[in-house]
Amino acid sequence: MSQAGMEAGTPPKKSAPRRTLTAFQHMKRDRQLLILFIPCFLFYLIFRYGPLYGLLIAFKDYSVFTGIIESPWVGLKHFINFFSGPDFWKLFKNTLILGVSSMVFSFPFPIILAILLNEVRVRWFKKSVQTISYLPSFLSVVIISSMVIDFLSPNNGMINQLLAVFGFEGKYFLIDPNWFRPIYIASDIWTHTGYEAIIYMAAIAGISPSLYEAAKVDGAKRRHMIFNITIPSLMPTIIIMFVLKTGSLLRIGYEKVLLLYNPMTYDVADVFSTFVYRKGLLEANYSYAAAVGLFEALVAMVLLLSSNYMSRKLGGKGLW
Amino acid sequence: MVKKFSMNNISLFSVVNAIILTCLAIITIYPILYITSVSFSDTAAVLQGRVALFPVGFNLDAYAQVLKDARIPRAYMNTIYYTALGTTINLLFTAIAAYPLSRAGFFGRRFFMVAIILTMFLNPGIIPNYLIVQELGMIDTVWALVLPNAIWTFELIILKSFYENMSEGLREAAVVDGASEYRILFQIMIPLSKPALASIGLFYFMGHWNSFFIPLIYLNDSTMYPLQVVLRDMLIFSESSNNTNLVDASALAPQSMKNATIVLAMIPVLLIYPFAQKYFAKGVMLGSEKG
Repeated sequence: MSQAGMEAGTPPKKSAPRRTLTAFQHMKRDRQLLILFIPCFLFYLIFRYGPLYGLLIAFKDYSVFTGIIESPWVGLKHFINFFSGPDFWKLFKNTLILGVSSMVFSFPFPIILAILLNEVRVRWFKKSVQTISYLPSFLSVVIISSMVIDFLSPNNGMINQLLAVFGFEGKYFLIDPNWFRPIYIASDIWTHTGYEAIIYMAAIAGISPSLYEAAKVDGAKRRHMIFNITIPSLMPTIIIMFVLKTGSLLRIGYEKVLLLYNPMTYDVADVFSTFVYRKGLLEANYSYAAAVGLFEALVAMVLLLSSNYMSRKLGGKGLW
Repeated sequence: MVKKFSMNNISLFSVVNAIILTCLAIITIYPILYITSVSFSDTAAVLQGRVALFPVGFNLDAYAQVLKDARIPRAYMNTIYYTALGTTINLLFTAIAAYPLSRAGFFGRRFFMVAIILTMFLNPGIIPNYLIVQELGMIDTVWALVLPNAIWTFELIILKSFYENMSEGLREAAVVDGASEYRILFQIMIPLSKPALASIGLFYFMGHWNSFFIPLIYLNDSTMYPLQVVLRDMLIFSESSNNTNLVDASALAPQSMKNATIVLAMIPVLLIYPFAQKYFAKGVMLGSEKG
């Protein structure tokens, strides 16, 4: 046993001994490590690459009784149905609008919060505000949605009570299609601002203090320093965060959509993922739903890959 | 630090800044406070809308009523079970996978890393994932909740780079002493990576505790439902059916009952929050440094 340990451990230093090993010898040398790696290997094989095989049903007429293999091939039937039907444009539009608008509207908030926090000189105050700011990101999407529904409830909800105080008519916000997107985005900002500010706080902490000292000597005021030092120094981080966010534009928080939407707001709220869930799992229309899902996955992949490429070009880190 | 700014300058700027940040903090925490206050307030005050920030009166009836419903205690137990089992499996799988991958000469390292990273870009979607779980016969079992997400690629990469940056010296000393790879991992690497494991574990923990969609699609047996799914049934579905679900014959305000339910679900998270938040920030940082 100890012999094996020696063998496995000794040559970690770069490639020198590796060149002389055959694959078999190499595996034998690393057998303990390989044994440790088995669960991971199986996990990725079964649960990350396995589903690719399940994608076949997008080109078949799958039913639970015939199984994946036996179901008849139908080629691109489901794709053609999807693209020529009314669903495609609605989903495409909704996903894009919700993704783009929630990104654009929520993007500045963490930056502003980080800059304001950075200007606080009283430590306990800074710490308290920051600690409070990421409390919402610990709450589940169900709790957040419940709070939204509770606040907007037509019977006795907080917002409607407030409206009544000022003499406005009460309103059932959640069944009004015009209100769906603002509600979704506002609750997103409330949830994620503090958490996303952490990254900007760290970037600010990395700015050289000598810049500020030099500015101080030159008599710069704090607002000058914010606009001439802090923000320009943050720019690379901001750009990279923006590019990476563009990449995951389609990854909408569909769980929240699922919790907040209802048949009255389907027209604006329904996105690819919620549609796939309803068609596939609730209506058992597996093949059609898988085709829609595959289309979404491909678009998402192209977006993600190009944003990663961009981010690396800009000198930042990609996802890996 | 403060002294170096001119007095005039600091007072105006700092005061405005402090006011803005205080407002932001209030906006952040207000919904949580309000929900809690309503759940403890007198029924009459709730119905008349007299609760603004702090509880009006004190009243635990809403909690008594909610806990009478067998679903909540059961869902609590389910969630605790799924979270404990799930987080344990997550951490174990991630650690034993990150260690070999962190070793420079590990057999097939490059190939495995590429294959693992590719999965971050390629997500085949809900239906194919569902079919795999179904084919494996895991529907309505706890395994459907813990195995399909046993390793989060992002956390795996974080831990792998953490191990890569650990000192070679310790490991080499252990090798000289004849320690096997298993011993090195479990008696040296894992104990030394506790801070990283705590951050990663926190994300896994939150993932399980707050998980809603996965149990929703993989569990049909309602006695197996975790807290989040039961909450959805009680809080969100009942809204559309006009509150008949919770209220029954009680003289309680529907608002109180709902909010008591929300508070019960938030309590564990709020309890761990003071301890967890520092690991949380650390985890976000680890992720952004080496992702």
